[in-house]
Amino acid sequence: MEVEIRPRVFLLGLTVGIVLADSSVVTLALPKILAQYHVEITTLAWVLASFNLALALAAVPAAFLARRRPDWVFGAGIVVFSAASLACAFAPSIDVLIGGRAVQGVAGAAVVCAALDLLTDATGSDASAARVWAFSGILGAAFGPAAGGFLTQLLGWESIFVVQAPVMLVALVVLPGARAARVREPAGRPNIAANLALFVVSGSLVGASFLLVLLLINGWRLEPLEAGLVVTVLPLAAIAAARLGGRITPPWARAASGAILIAGGSAALGWLPHAGAAWTIAPQLAIGAGLGLALSALTERALAGRSAQAVHGGWTIAARHAGIFLGLLLLTPIFTAGLERNEENALAAGTAVVLDSEIPPLAKVGVARDILVAVDEANREVQIPSVSEVIGKQDDPAYRDLVSKLQEQLDRAVTNAFSRSFLVAAALALLALVPILLGRRDVGV
Amino acid sequence: MRALAWSTAVAAGLVAVYLALGGASYAPAKVADPCAPRDWTQPHGLAEVGNQIILSTLDGVACKLGVSREEVVLAFESNDTLRRFASSHGISDDELEQLVRAGLERAIVDAERADALSPTFARLIRSLVERIPVDRLIELGRLLGS
Repeated sequence: MEVEIRPRVFLLGLTVGIVLADSSVVTLALPKILAQYHVEITTLAWVLASFNLALALAAVPAAFLARRRPDWVFGAGIVVFSAASLACAFAPSIDVLIGGRAVQGVAGAAVVCAALDLLTDATGSDASAARVWAFSGILGAAFGPAAGGFLTQLLGWESIFVVQAPVMLVALVVLPGARAARVREPAGRPNIAANLALFVVSGSLVGASFLLVLLLINGWRLEPLEAGLVVTVLPLAAIAAARLGGRITPPWARAASGAILIAGGSAALGWLPHAGAAWTIAPQLAIGAGLGLALSALTERALAGRSAQAVHGGWTIAARHAGIFLGLLLLTPIFTAGLERNEENALAAGTAVVLDSEIPPLAKVGVARDILVAVDEANREVQIPSVSEVIGKQDDPAYRDLVSKLQEQLDRAVTNAFSRSFLVAAALALLALVPILLGRRDVGV
Repeated sequence: MRALAWSTAVAAGLVAVYLALGGASYAPAKVADPCAPRDWTQPHGLAEVGNQIILSTLDGVACKLGVSREEVVLAFESNDTLRRFASSHGISDDELEQLVRAGLERAIVDAERADALSPTFARLIRSLVERIPVDRLIELGRLLGS
């Protein structure tokens, strides 16, 4: 039984969105995963990195395979991706989880690349297929963290993977009647400038899709559900910009506008004037709008005028996820160094606050020691301690004042620890202007 | 091209507003210079006098070592941290004892100068401090704090 065209386009777009959401969907779940497996941060980072690296490496080979038999590649990709998702959900160890994520990445590459060819068949034109495909990818990448946060809070982090499997398997119904053309002529060279720009822009987006989530949950102690709500601003802005930005011509100007907005938003996150989720809204709006403009324009540029859609789609996927991998490699150590630097500064500032406080003199040593113990424990659990829980005695005005001043120093330290990595993300977004401007005369744009 | 101008204006405006609101300086407060004189408030009761003497002692030790008062406090958290602190600053046990006694002496002089201690009481404290071993004083401080 063949599925109608509209549901088929929807299901194909949905699979692309789910796979690309997977690059960031577990970000809000990382503290829970850390608590379950008791591993180092560097090991934990591989839960994200393994998926993106595998997807980047497998995208182009998968695209060449998809060119020959898109229906087979899509079907096999869906089945393996679903199985790997379930393996992740029930992983008995962090190694199995990381391995499962890598398999998800390889299978996801097959699904995404084959889906582009199948979309050409379903929509009837390369241009329409590219638009649906690029838009689905933007939705997936933008909604990933928020969706992961909701699922983690409501049903546990494992549910992120459990939910994916049946939804992906439903998409198998598009296969009967799929008539994607099997192209035999050479695929041609990829659009170097557009893919290079995608690579750099995606690296810069690690700031908003990964570090911002860590700041909200681990730094400012928001629950995953609250953090999920806060970061929903970004995908909403991305959707609006991708929808409305199509009118901006020429496309290189749309891509450049997007990169500038991402740079501005990331820099604003690097220079937050106060701690608090409300201060991230304006930067998120800028980054979301930039993401919607830049990714849609660059993906369309990379595919424009090129007949082998799946292969060139594969190049864009490889560029994007290699960029995310690079972003994780580059920004994570800058962020951890910032944490170490600010931990020392925060301890000194906090000790000064305790010493200068109005609490009974002999209690000061005890309070200072309690805070040190809490900081040590927090380091082990990668969670900022709650000052009010450590100190207690909230009915005493002197203690209340001390808690408020200590919390202020802690907020300053945590927020400042992320500053440099957000500024580097902003610099990466500006760097993307170089390939965008160099490639503005590309044929077919 | 208008889009480029708009996006540049929005991005620059956002950054300018955040910088104007103090984004570049939102960091933990800098700790005070221990060598700079501190104001002596008028303490009420023995405990508060003791508190100011301890703070002044810490200032004295920190100033001599060229570190912050807060670093000295954190070093006194346990014997291990104290040993690490001493070895990283190349201080022997005797030198540490001399530093603490010199800091206490400075604190008592400051307290006398600020009329927080009467000369008789200052003499009493001074003679006590001279007799009690420094490691006992540190231990006593930790015990009272907990």
